[in-house]
Amino acid sequence: MSGHEIKRRDFLKVMGWGGVGATLAGCDMPTTVTLEEGKEEVVSYMSPEEFVIPGIGIYYASTCQQCSAGCGIYGRVREGRVLKLEGNPASQINGGKLCQMGQAGVQTHYNPDRITKPMLRKGKELVEVSWDEAMAELDKRVGKSSSVDGQRVAWFSGSMSGHQSVLLDAYLESVGSKSHFVYEAINSAVSRAVNAEMLGDATPHYRFDKAALLLSFGADLLGASSSPVHYSTQYGEFRSAPRGMHVQIEPSMSLTGANADLWQPVIPGTEGVLAYGLINMLVNKMGYDASGLSLEVRGLIGKYDPAYAAKVTGISEERIEKIAGLLKSKSPSLVLAGTSTEGQRDGYNATAAVTLLNVILGNVGKTIESSGTFPFPQMAAKAGSSRDLLSFASALGKKQYDVVFFHGTNPVHTAPNYLGLVDNLADVPFKVTLSMFLDETAAVSDLVLPLLSSLEDWGTHVADVGGSTQTTDVTIQQPLMKQLYDDTRGFGDIVLSLLKARGVEEYTGFDDYYAYLRDAFSSTPEAITGGLGTKAFWQGSLQKGAVSIQLDKGALQSNPFASEVSEHKADPSYPMHLAPSARLGMWDGRHANIPWLQEAPDQISKVVWESWAEIHPSTAAKMGVTNGDMIKVESRQGAIKVKVYVHRGVHPNVVAVPMGRGHEQYGRYAKGRGVNPLKILSQVTENKTGELALYGTRVKVSNASDKGTLIHMGDSESQVGRKLVSTVTAEVFKNTEGGGNSVA
Amino acid sequence: MSLSNLLNDWTRYRQGIEEGGFHDYEHIFGMAIDLNKCIGCNACSIACYAENNLAVVGEEKFAKDQGMHWLRIERYWDEPDLGADDQEFQEHGASFLPMMCQQCNAATCEPVCPVAATYHTPDGLNAQVYNRCIGSRYCSNNCPYRLRYFNFYSYYETSWPAPLDQQLNPDLSVRDKGVMEKCTFCIQRIRVAKDTAQREERELVDGEFTTACAQTCPTSAIQFGDLQDPNSKVSQLWKQYQVKLGTTEQSKQNKELRGYRVFESLNTEPCVMYLDRVREV
Repeated sequence: MSGHEIKRRDFLKVMGWGGVGATLAGCDMPTTVTLEEGKEEVVSYMSPEEFVIPGIGIYYASTCQQCSAGCGIYGRVREGRVLKLEGNPASQINGGKLCQMGQAGVQTHYNPDRITKPMLRKGKELVEVSWDEAMAELDKRVGKSSSVDGQRVAWFSGSMSGHQSVLLDAYLESVGSKSHFVYEAINSAVSRAVNAEMLGDATPHYRFDKAALLLSFGADLLGASSSPVHYSTQYGEFRSAPRGMHVQIEPSMSLTGANADLWQPVIPGTEGVLAYGLINMLVNKMGYDASGLSLEVRGLIGKYDPAYAAKVTGISEERIEKIAGLLKSKSPSLVLAGTSTEGQRDGYNATAAVTLLNVILGNVGKTIESSGTFPFPQMAAKAGSSRDLLSFASALGKKQYDVVFFHGTNPVHTAPNYLGLVDNLADVPFKVTLSMFLDETAAVSDLVLPLLSSLEDWGTHVADVGGSTQTTDVTIQQPLMKQLYDDTRGFGDIVLSLLKARGVEEYTGFDDYYAYLRDAFSSTPEAITGGLGTKAFWQGSLQKGAVSIQLDKGALQSNPFASEVSEHKADPSYPMHLAPSARLGMWDGRHANIPWLQEAPDQISKVVWESWAEIHPSTAAKMGVTNGDMIKVESRQGAIKVKVYVHRGVHPNVVAVPMGRGHEQYGRYAKGRGVNPLKILSQVTENKTGELALYGTRVKVSNASDKGTLIHMGDSESQVGRKLVSTVTAEVFKNTEGGGNSVA
Repeated sequence: MSLSNLLNDWTRYRQGIEEGGFHDYEHIFGMAIDLNKCIGCNACSIACYAENNLAVVGEEKFAKDQGMHWLRIERYWDEPDLGADDQEFQEHGASFLPMMCQQCNAATCEPVCPVAATYHTPDGLNAQVYNRCIGSRYCSNNCPYRLRYFNFYSYYETSWPAPLDQQLNPDLSVRDKGVMEKCTFCIQRIRVAKDTAQREERELVDGEFTTACAQTCPTSAIQFGDLQDPNSKVSQLWKQYQVKLGTTEQSKQNKELRGYRVFESLNTEPCVMYLDRVREV
């Protein structure tokens, strides 16, 4: 590196602090730090005396990687082992709290099914090889002297951010690849697109703690959402006096729905019509002003009168009027759309209709705030979508890639059968998976590189959701213990060696990812370090677990647009709707290898260790099945057999089969357990965004004539008149604890 | 039971703090759980598994009700207080109830133990001495809350295949078969806090430590503290909601005020107060 002069702006870009010009104006390049000097400061980050005080547990800050919310954690370390994770109280995301997936992070780390050595396909089998051999193979395929065509290299990952993202971008640039697919089965891509268009901010802050009414069209804020703990802490405040009311409209009860004051079942795909029916009632009957809206929007509102909405949705006019009345009387409110609304052929338009409610009700700016602009776009979160899965599958079909890297996601498990992913992947000459586990995707790869766990590795992360309107955190992930397996490597380290193999000069000077991160911190703009010395800033950041970044001020716009929602059509041969619901716990299937979470009763059905299908008692009666009996759920793409759980939290036309189980690989706890509803999804995509329509699959169900028992917690689902959970009305609560329902 | 025990006058243990009872307790650790805030997410339960070396028993044993969840989230579908139960849909959602050992001050499990393996500590805790337990299971039979869990097998043989065992908390034991176990209010955390306070020659400070479940609860529905310390958050909550120890039926000035103890009419004297779930109907 010596003698090679790097221009300041390039330097900042290498270090991830590249941004728009205005942001960096006035930020002085640290005068005393060069890359060389930064390197000299590197000390072993595993100095044992720092970690080991016999008998005493010490807490170190890091970042949770169990989902992409980016919660701050404290790891309790004793005798060099991490024993327990707690929330980091300083975190803006989770304020010291953690969900069950975060708590189970230690079982991902200590999982007995981790892969400990690189594996290379020789003949039909994946066999363990040395890192030298693995890297030599990589070099042969994508190294500097290889004949690889960069256009034919793709990277397929889960959501990512921070300096790992910066390095990966640099690598893909060095190869000449423009194909980075970012995929999450559980995502909010449609809402983002709508928010960007209508509010000018893809991820505005939702402040239901300020709302008097939360109306959710299937948004599972407390469960499978973009930041479950963040939203749950807010929900705690929302429910404190003056207690806000919560109405949830969805096909099958989510954890969020289970907490609603009013839970309203709905046929998936009719939410848009319902939203317009509510708007129609608000404008025509309740005096809301629509004169500011375009003629086109007003025309559309007129079209969906309550009688029509009632006919389409099967929800009575009185009920629609009741909800509209609540929206009027409880202000400000917050109306949100979730996967069941987004995941339809016209999910974008339905979500736009839901968002339009916020505009008409005047919630924008009150319970929906601007999230500001993160000034370092290189590090900003790349949030996953399922559109990337679909375009990846289609590119595979056209044989566009010679080399594909997988990391942080398991598409072979979560992709629907119709995409033919496994067959098409067979035609890709070289597939590399960076993973801790031999999951379904790793199993079909040609080279598997074993990763360090998130509790052993370095990283930085920028949360996509959460934080305040003024600042957001770049959170730091630091190793909480020495790596368990010598032959596993960090993600950043691997990408760095790939960069070196490409001979990219800016990166050749770094011994490892840690050295790179140290340098990145040394080059942090002074506006962020607050003038602290390099070492003090680094250590302070490690202790706090985060670097607070001032956001560029943003402002919400209001651009309501017309979004016609198509009429819901019945499908006589497949009369039921499939709800492949997501749960806090198994998530998209990534936590099926955690024994604690397999044995944690599902929040709704209380089932453990296996899959189940939720149906309404009336549906069950028609089919002649009771709890535990096997049914067959069949779509045009295939069928699954699964035991039923019967309860009244499902629409009679819906069968809900939670995703997450049904693994064919993925270790002893996951493999061969339960079914995977995602496999039988029909070929339905959202028209505008190209997202996979998760709730767009029609199925038929039949009695599989196999009596069984569900493995679940609790013998009684009824309190049998005893005072176990006593309930009082909100009126009583208001009388005794005050507040009323209006925050204004 | 010794003769002196028999001759002792135990009636003061039937008196509330305000009536002058319980003076020989150093602390009475208790909880306040707000069911208006509990969302049933299960974070507390997994935190408990992580903190207390709870065994994973697997599906076959779980099916026989042998799950070791010291803290479980019960979920009920009916709402007796909201009247009729014949709606077509679950319109008010679910009723969640986090249940852990209620640390009863008049615990029904204690007097039936033939070997005094379960007894009351000066911290007001219902303790379980694993070394003394002979596995008669009388205590769990006698627990009206069904919150005691028996080691029918040596779960450690299968529950933590290496390197999962490296996660085990060295501050407490792993239990072997034949032993009863249950929620301890994270007694290992209490010990550390008390030892630290003693070393620093001071009293325990409210909030300087808490249980694993209360620490992780995303909505802060669970509050933990010393009921004997009138200034602790938990005491304040009990006072605010007019819930008292030493009674089988709460008599409140304001009858509508929330707050009750589960099965308190059984005179078990539970130290966990629940604040009623709230629904707008």
